[in-house]
Amino acid sequence: MQLFHNLKIDFMGNRKYFYLLSVSLFLLGMFNIAFRGLQFGIDFKGGTEIVVKFEKPIKIADLRTDLQSTGLGEIEIKTFGDNAGALIRTELQALPQNLFPKIQKQIEDDINSSYPAIAGKYRSEKSPNSLTYTFNDPDTASAIANKLFLDGFQSGKVSEEVTNRQVNVQVGISDWIKESLKNKVKGNSFQVLREERVGPKVGNELKRDTMIAIVLSLIGILIYLAFRYKFVFAFGAVLALFHDVLITLGLYAVLYNVIPGLNLEVNLTVVAAFLTLIGYSINDTVIVFDRVRETIKVHKTESLETLMNLAINKTMSRTIITGGTTLMSVFVLLLLGGDVLRAFAFTMFFGIIIGTYSSVFVASAIVVDYAKKYNKKVEF
Amino acid sequence: MKALRFRFIIIVAAIAISVYLLYPTYQDYQNTKQISQAVKNKRELLKKVNPGLSVDQLDKLLQNTSDSIKAADPSIREARMKRIKLGLDLQGGMRVVLEVNTVKLLEKLANNPDDAFKNILASAGKEASLSNESVVDLIGRKFQEKGIRLSRYFGTIRQDDSEILKDLKKQSEEAVTRAKEIIRNRVDQYGVSEPSIQLQGERRIIVELPGVAKEEEARQLLQGTALLEFKLLKEPEFTVNVMEQVDRVLAGKSLEDTSEVDSTKNVPGAKKDSSLAKNDTTKNQKLSPEQFAKEHPFFSVALINPQSQSADAYVKADQKERLLRMLAKPEVQNILNSSNAEFVLGAKPVTYQEGQGVFVLYLVNKTAELTGSVVTNANSNIDPSTSAPVVNMEMNSEGATEWARITGANINKRCAIVLDNVVYTAPVIRGKIPGGRSQIEGSTDLAEAKLLEIVLKAGALPAPVDIMEERTVGPSLGQDSISQGFNSTLFGYLLVGIFMIVYYKRAGTASALALSLVIMFILSILAYFKATLTLPGIAGIVLTIGMAVDSNVLIIERIREELATGKTMKASIDSGFSKALAAIVDSNITTMITAVILYQFGTGPVQGFALTLMIGILTSLFGALVITRVLLDFLLNKGYKITLG
Repeated sequence: MQLFHNLKIDFMGNRKYFYLLSVSLFLLGMFNIAFRGLQFGIDFKGGTEIVVKFEKPIKIADLRTDLQSTGLGEIEIKTFGDNAGALIRTELQALPQNLFPKIQKQIEDDINSSYPAIAGKYRSEKSPNSLTYTFNDPDTASAIANKLFLDGFQSGKVSEEVTNRQVNVQVGISDWIKESLKNKVKGNSFQVLREERVGPKVGNELKRDTMIAIVLSLIGILIYLAFRYKFVFAFGAVLALFHDVLITLGLYAVLYNVIPGLNLEVNLTVVAAFLTLIGYSINDTVIVFDRVRETIKVHKTESLETLMNLAINKTMSRTIITGGTTLMSVFVLLLLGGDVLRAFAFTMFFGIIIGTYSSVFVASAIVVDYAKKYNKKVEF
Repeated sequence: MKALRFRFIIIVAAIAISVYLLYPTYQDYQNTKQISQAVKNKRELLKKVNPGLSVDQLDKLLQNTSDSIKAADPSIREARMKRIKLGLDLQGGMRVVLEVNTVKLLEKLANNPDDAFKNILASAGKEASLSNESVVDLIGRKFQEKGIRLSRYFGTIRQDDSEILKDLKKQSEEAVTRAKEIIRNRVDQYGVSEPSIQLQGERRIIVELPGVAKEEEARQLLQGTALLEFKLLKEPEFTVNVMEQVDRVLAGKSLEDTSEVDSTKNVPGAKKDSSLAKNDTTKNQKLSPEQFAKEHPFFSVALINPQSQSADAYVKADQKERLLRMLAKPEVQNILNSSNAEFVLGAKPVTYQEGQGVFVLYLVNKTAELTGSVVTNANSNIDPSTSAPVVNMEMNSEGATEWARITGANINKRCAIVLDNVVYTAPVIRGKIPGGRSQIEGSTDLAEAKLLEIVLKAGALPAPVDIMEERTVGPSLGQDSISQGFNSTLFGYLLVGIFMIVYYKRAGTASALALSLVIMFILSILAYFKATLTLPGIAGIVLTIGMAVDSNVLIIERIREELATGKTMKASIDSGFSKALAAIVDSNITTMITAVILYQFGTGPVQGFALTLMIGILTSLFGALVITRVLLDFLLNKGYKITLG
């Protein structure tokens, strides 16, 4: 079997249509990024996220109303996996101060009802993430620490010293969410699949590291290309890279929350996908340019446009087939890889399509136009 | 022909090595299946026999079952150690990034912090949480801006700012090592299998606890303050006596049965007692190991040396769990409580036997003589006169008074230094120590002395840590991810492989075959380097499957073109391979560049992706340039017709 054999398509002659297509895709993406914005995941934004799976299917809308009354402000809730899974996220790091009295009351009600004798005979202290209770004697402190722990609070003795009379109760945000779910969703128990808390500092560092990584990748590729080809080609190739990355990123903004089950948030894995894309999409460009260089040696008199067409047509079969096999495996990942890898697979899938397109139509076209504009004889 | 045979041998050797490297993973998979089946059966059984069991109790019992199966067969452990390690996102567990809170540390270090100091510290802390500058540097700058000398709060009046800053830097660095050591100590005790504790940057600690689902417990484990205590060891005679009582109740005999030992216990001159005990144990050595274990459950786990002056018992690493369970039994606790005693284990193995560590078991007073809060400083050094490593310890005035009394009253007894319930060392008290300055000898090298210094300081200077990042993956999500990853790899391979075979016929079949070997090589390289396979790592493998055929496609397309110019098949294959080489190398190098950068910058799962991608690139080069080539040459030599589609 042999497809795309002996192609004789005048790609370069039609390049203005490709420019038009690329520019409109690019503008569409940028427009959406500007107005709808990119959604960043917890890795970058910081915050608290928990993923729970209920025993029976659950309506996300119901869950939203249930959790709205918890006083946590804006909570994001999405389906995760099938209709029994839910992803709950807030950008908060710690429980809002106004919630403390409510929780304190819950804790103290619990203490008072289980040990009526000591009701009111203890002191409490607040700190950003916890409440500390001081009791009259060490034994009571131990007993209450255990009781509260069994009731679902994160309690513990302040120290293991024999004389310790203090009990500390952690009231983190995820604890409060779990506690609320337990109280509000009756008769449908749940299991915590995943729980993440990322501090604001980590998110900021990650943003910086990502920028560095992307810039370094581009520099690395530029240096490599500079060794292999003359400037024009490196210029065309890198421009095509920007084209690929920005259009795919634009797609993120366009399709965010459009396709159910596809959670298009920019997180660490997605960044990994984009970096891989940079490395992958340069491949096709390099291979076309390689062919151009080879053809130039044979047909010295032909124009650059003709040479480009010749090289592209000759490598088209390979371009389509390797792009196709990679697409196949990424497509399998998109279907079977599960929620965690879906955004990654999506990025690669569209990135590869756009990358293959750009290395054939954009990178080469830029080189031709550049050579025309400056009326230069292109050398390799 | 000769060259072909040589390459053939290389490929066969590579396959053999991979199979060898991957076998433990397969074995571990089988073992896990068997154990989970056994645990399942046991669960049914326990539920039937005792329906009133709570979930927690049931889990605990089942944990014991699986532990004992694992302990019974060393090959299970070995397979587990050599298998491909799975990341936390696949096997479930907890990953915590901790950062030492320098602000709190400095507050503790300051001599007389007033409000002005606290304000500066607070603003420096806020700035440090957003920038990358260290708190110590920020503070130095802020003090300078305000024209306050650092010696007002730190160090002595004679020191200048730069000296103090250097000192503070050293202190904050030490706090990180101390926090790491405390965490390692606790994690070891907690009994997590294959934990990983790493330093990242200057003051971050990354802790990975596979399989931990109870985050509350784990969090407390990581964040609580360390408790350092000084506890006197019980006298050897007394210890042996207690051990025998414990042994007896564990064997199911009542204490009254053994009037023989009980009567000697009250007789003055307990020496006799211990010699009797020694006789007892030597006599028992004639029993078969099974019988001995039944008759003397305690002594079969905690071995004592009859010749030794001390009554330290020795416990092998894999018996620790069992021993702790024995000691937790109420009847044993009764014996210990009645004599204000408790058993504590050594923190590190004292020696190794049959590849596993041996720990010392001490019997100490339950109430501590002193806690570590009295320690003001500790320093490890080489004693100039003996050139042996020593640790010097200083105490505050209240501590020193107490310490003088304790040491004076217990000369020639041993005092254990206990951090979070494990013993770091148990030196003999040589004489009364007035003034609170003690010298601890007996460390085997400077590293050990340094560790003791860290331990002693843990009481004096807590290293407060903040949780920066915390990620927990439940086991069921991990299990789902494994099967999703496996299915993606399998179907990805099938789809691409079938396409190659259909499109490129025999040449495609050779590529598909090479591709399956490439996947095997990737996995075996991961196993060899004990690298971690994560879910994104699996994505890397799937991606490699798609990209690996790129080289094959380049080559086959080239061969087609060469054939079209009228060359023979053999010549076409030759020039096809050599002409495609440049393009193949080019296209792999760019991907490699980004993979390396990703590996440098990524963390956890993403690093796993970069790793499989890198390995994938290298192995697929081998697959295309060597394996496919050999297969094609082989077909050619045997006179088969090579079809390209």
